[in-house]
Amino acid sequence: MIVQALTFYLFAGITVAAGVMVVSARNPVHSVLFLILAFLNSAGLFVLMGAEFLAMVLVVVYVGAVAVLFLFVVMMLDINFVELRQGFLQYLPIGGLIGLILLVELVLVIGAWVVAPDAAATIAEPMPAPERMTNTHALGLILYTRYVYLFQIAGLILLVAMVGAIVLTLRGREGVRKQRIAAQVRGRREERVELKKVPTRGGI
Amino acid sequence: MPVAVPELMPALPEIFLASAAMALIMFGAFRGEDSTRTVSWLAVLALVVAAIAVPVVTQSRVTTFAGLFVTDAFAVFMKELILLGSALAIIMSMGFNEREKIARFEYPILFLFATLGMMLMVSANDLIALYLGIELQSLSLYVLAAFRRDTVRSSEAGLKYFVLGALSSGMLLYGCSMIYGFTGTTRFDVLAAMFAGVDGAEVSVGLIIGLVFLVAGLAFKVAAVPFHMWIPDVYEGAPTPVTAFFAAAPKIAAMALFIRVLIGPFGDLADQWRQIIIFISIASMILGALAAINQTNIKRLMAYSAIGHVGYALVGLAAGGEIGVRGVLIYMAIYLAMVLGTFCCILCMRVHGRMVEGIDDLAGLSKTHPMVALALAIFMFSMSGIPPLAGFFAKIYVFFAAIQAGLYTLAVIGVLSSVVAAFYYLRIVKLMYFDEPVEAFDRPIERGMGVILAGTGVFTLFFFAYPGPVLNSAAAAAAALFAG
Amino acid sequence: MIYVAVVLLPLAGAAIAGLSGPWIRDRGAQVVSCGSVSLSALLSIFIFYDVAIGGNARVIELFTWFDSGDLKASWALKFDTLSAVMVLTVSMVSAWIHIYAIGYMAGDPGIPRFFAYLNLFTFFMLILVTAENFLQLFFGWEGVGLLSYLLIGFWYDRPAANAASIKAFIVNRVGDFGFTLGILGVFVLFGSLSFDLVFAAVPDKVGTTLNFLGMEIDALTLVCLLLFMGAMGKSAQILLHTWLPDAMEGPTPVSALIHAATMVTAGVFLVVRLSPMFEYAPIALAVVAVIGATTALVTATIGLVQNDIKRVIAYSTCSQLGYMFFAVGVSAYPAAIFHLVTHAYFKALLFLGSGSVIHALAGEQDMRKMGGMWRKLPVTYAVMWIGGLALAGVGIPFFIGFAGYYSKDIILGAAWGAHSWVGTYAFWLGIATAVLTAFYSWRLLFLTFHGSPRADARVMAQVREAPKVMTIPLGFLALGAVVSGGIAYSAFVGEGMAAFWGDSILILDSNTALLEAHQAPPWVVVLPTVMAVAGIAIAWLMYIRRPELPRRLAGRFRAVYLLLYRKWYFDEIYDRLFVFPANDLGRGFWHSGDGAVIDGVGPDGIARAALNLARRAGRLQTGYVYHYAFAMLIGVVAFVTWYLYARAG
Repeated sequence: MIVQALTFYLFAGITVAAGVMVVSARNPVHSVLFLILAFLNSAGLFVLMGAEFLAMVLVVVYVGAVAVLFLFVVMMLDINFVELRQGFLQYLPIGGLIGLILLVELVLVIGAWVVAPDAAATIAEPMPAPERMTNTHALGLILYTRYVYLFQIAGLILLVAMVGAIVLTLRGREGVRKQRIAAQVRGRREERVELKKVPTRGGI
Repeated sequence: MPVAVPELMPALPEIFLASAAMALIMFGAFRGEDSTRTVSWLAVLALVVAAIAVPVVTQSRVTTFAGLFVTDAFAVFMKELILLGSALAIIMSMGFNEREKIARFEYPILFLFATLGMMLMVSANDLIALYLGIELQSLSLYVLAAFRRDTVRSSEAGLKYFVLGALSSGMLLYGCSMIYGFTGTTRFDVLAAMFAGVDGAEVSVGLIIGLVFLVAGLAFKVAAVPFHMWIPDVYEGAPTPVTAFFAAAPKIAAMALFIRVLIGPFGDLADQWRQIIIFISIASMILGALAAINQTNIKRLMAYSAIGHVGYALVGLAAGGEIGVRGVLIYMAIYLAMVLGTFCCILCMRVHGRMVEGIDDLAGLSKTHPMVALALAIFMFSMSGIPPLAGFFAKIYVFFAAIQAGLYTLAVIGVLSSVVAAFYYLRIVKLMYFDEPVEAFDRPIERGMGVILAGTGVFTLFFFAYPGPVLNSAAAAAAALFAG
Repeated sequence: MIYVAVVLLPLAGAAIAGLSGPWIRDRGAQVVSCGSVSLSALLSIFIFYDVAIGGNARVIELFTWFDSGDLKASWALKFDTLSAVMVLTVSMVSAWIHIYAIGYMAGDPGIPRFFAYLNLFTFFMLILVTAENFLQLFFGWEGVGLLSYLLIGFWYDRPAANAASIKAFIVNRVGDFGFTLGILGVFVLFGSLSFDLVFAAVPDKVGTTLNFLGMEIDALTLVCLLLFMGAMGKSAQILLHTWLPDAMEGPTPVSALIHAATMVTAGVFLVVRLSPMFEYAPIALAVVAVIGATTALVTATIGLVQNDIKRVIAYSTCSQLGYMFFAVGVSAYPAAIFHLVTHAYFKALLFLGSGSVIHALAGEQDMRKMGGMWRKLPVTYAVMWIGGLALAGVGIPFFIGFAGYYSKDIILGAAWGAHSWVGTYAFWLGIATAVLTAFYSWRLLFLTFHGSPRADARVMAQVREAPKVMTIPLGFLALGAVVSGGIAYSAFVGEGMAAFWGDSILILDSNTALLEAHQAPPWVVVLPTVMAVAGIAIAWLMYIRRPELPRRLAGRFRAVYLLLYRKWYFDEIYDRLFVFPANDLGRGFWHSGDGAVIDGVGPDGIARAALNLARRAGRLQTGYVYHYAFAMLIGVVAFVTWYLYARAG
């Protein structure tokens, strides 16, 4: 029990600290690396809760794909981050104040946590016992049945994101010669071949 | 474990629209850029089919997909408005896009996805469904705002919209998670049952704070003060037909969601959320009236006008009850006609093939384009609420609702701010009719545009003569919300 | 179907003629608008037979208009005998005037606009007379008012026309103010605006009092008087009559249609339609009678000395409307409607005839510059005689007469038959008016057509009879002016009266004036005719026999002459009482108030403050995303703080 608690505080502490560093690090590459650290620790927290599937997904998708992509983008773009940060200090006092107020208020709210009396009944069983079925199995069971609607909308959102990305960035560049197979196959003899009568000794 | 297939019938229009959009992507991708006009008309056709299907599949209140999706008379009313707005916006876009060389087949498809998102918002019966509907809609709109990617202003509009939209989504999600944390459910009907008969003062404060965040996220979508900052820049930067679309359908969808959430699950907490609605309503009405006065760009002016109109519609929501909701519904229906008509006029503002957006460019329009000037004058008079035009009735119904609910201050501020707002509407009329013409706009107006202009103009002008259909269906829609 | 078509055809005509003017050109607009109104007129004959003769009164519900809370109203067309009579008259007269206007307006640059307006006017007028509730009535009422304004100012490049149209509009606003209050009063009193429901509830409401301006007043009387105020404005009764003569600035067909035959009679129609209310408000009825009789006499005296040919007829219209009102005031509603119908024919005829004269003289309206034209304009001359005879009510007592003879006779008879002081007052004033009417009619005829030509020789040489398209309508209207009285007499006010009107008019059994009228002694019947003939004789004496007489009389009774010539100083009094003080007040406010106070804090100050705020609001819009995001965050934090604070406190 005590080990579990200690591990939790270790992961949680590192996650928060890494989060702070993401915003405050001077070098953007460091920021991204701290982000990865935060992800990894969050994955650890998931494992502690017994949600091993989510933990793995977090590592594979966020750390493995998204964050690495970030890293590439940040490294490849030549952005003068010093310039971007110039307004930072100017707004720090008021920004900090607002943040602080919000924090205090939220702490107050959480402190006065009163779960609605019949809430416990409505909360679905958080997860089945591990010996009955695995996490993945359980998710799969409801994801495609009870939540198929949400699953489909999420799919549509991804589709829109894809279409949007293509619309905003894809350019048919001039002067690029691409192989268009359909056009090639469709091509007819009359269009491609021109027969010329070549007179003897006349040249073309 | 055998699983029952969920009832698909109530969501048939949405399923059809999603399938149609995907089919059109394939069609467009294979046919290439020259298929834009075909895809556009097919998209309009799809919207029309959906509009026909919506009332057919909804006989009474039905939920499906494990209670995540609901459809009722309220949803039918709002969906019809949304589909109408989207279809007209696509028609208005065609000529513009071709002239501005941004005609691409993805454009109508993004419209379809955005519309689908709005319909899902209207039918949301769960916090997660609500969020996903909003995201589907918003993501499409972000892309549309930046659609003219070669101009800085359009890209900037898209980016600003995206960043701020993400922030608002964050707030909304935070609110949802707090509500979930304090109640243990995301389902609207479960929430409603939980709060039935509960005294608002006894509810945990955390829940109220969650509700505040949720309302803030929704207020961003309808562009109510102080969550309105994005709207002038986005309206100005986005291509004009996209702006027309922004002004019409998404506003209606967001307002529908506002009503759905606040009246449905949190209806019994009305005393709690009413204060915040009153505040953003007053702030929107005042800012919408004041800030528009100095504008020189007509699209920016319309942005502030939209803020003001949202303020008026929220008056009805603040009043609450069946009468208040009916007022909002009538307001949105009339607003749809007025705003689409106005944007038709704005789309006619073309000099030598180039779009102009200055208010001063309208000077002397009555002499060069009498019919367009007449139509625009009708819309301006109507927006400023002069009887017997439709806009007058829109305001009357929400103000009456406010008075019946005892919110006299709100009604008085509404009337005063509409007087101030009349200043800039009438200035446009004055410019058109009493100033010397500058350069005449190009002729002729596209046929589709002319038809929309005439239709919305006639509706606005003669609403008073036959308001029955709108009033009755709005009343039925409002009643349906309170019956369940 | 036919019933709806009658009302909607003119609207369709207006839409086509008005909106597609550039494509169908003048000729197309004329054909469309005349065609639609003529068709409407033909259909209205059928309706008249079906409803009035066949007794098939009906209400056609088109669709629900308003249904919010207590206020329910439908678009519905009510066809009973009263509205059938009105529809027939309106559409008939309107059709002939449309045709006449083709000739009269030839060469005008705004022909499609003109015909669209005329059509639209006819539509509103038909809506008015077929209204089934107060709201729809008000819609038609305001519609005809609007079109009257537009048509008076049709030649908008003439300052006088603009001034006249504005005057008409404002004076009518005064009346409409009362009318609106009256409708509100009806709604407050009865909780409904439907005629059927209101009329059914009237007997229960007798004696109810309302608190008005701190006084307890009989509610029904108050409501009736307020409604009558609207009627006074529209029908140009004394105090609110000043706009009608000025309205003659409009084109003559407009004067004939709107300011003689139809719109100005809407007030009479209103009171008759509301007979089930007025019958229970005897005080209101007495007021109506007194106002009507006074108007009849006063405006007739003004008509004696006017020199503008159209103004003479305009004053005559006021005067004849006075007749109708005092008929109403003694509960002789059928007589009023009877006179309304005959008047529509002969007054339209007179207007169109004078229009023909004006047309021939290239726009000249001053009778002092006419004369001696009867040889050149024989048709016009003949129809003007007919119109004059009908207007003066000439006939052979107990035998036959022109249209006006029957209707005026029955009105005077009813006034006598009322046997009340109001009736007696009205009767003697009516008799006096009869002399005056005959006098000014023949003064007009003699000045215009007889004597030596006083116009330019060059102008006289151009004088030519109007084209067929103008004379044929004149002929038909003349026919109406001759026979309409005799034909309709027995049905409208004679033995068939009760069966003919059915439920459309209510006369309490205690009000027997109209029945008494048939038992009037011979002198009552003969007197009006004698008076008319006497008037004609005096006119002949003064303008043919001894033409110097009028000037001498005017010199001798200078004060009286000036009083009449200056129209009893109504305009001057109104100028002194309302217009000048308002101007002075305005100027005073402008100089002292506006300069000091208002510029500082009033509209200007508010405007400046608003502009100032607007600038600030604009400055908030910096364009930086993080500013925007910040504003949102501050907003959320503010709300959260507010709720926490409210909870804690």
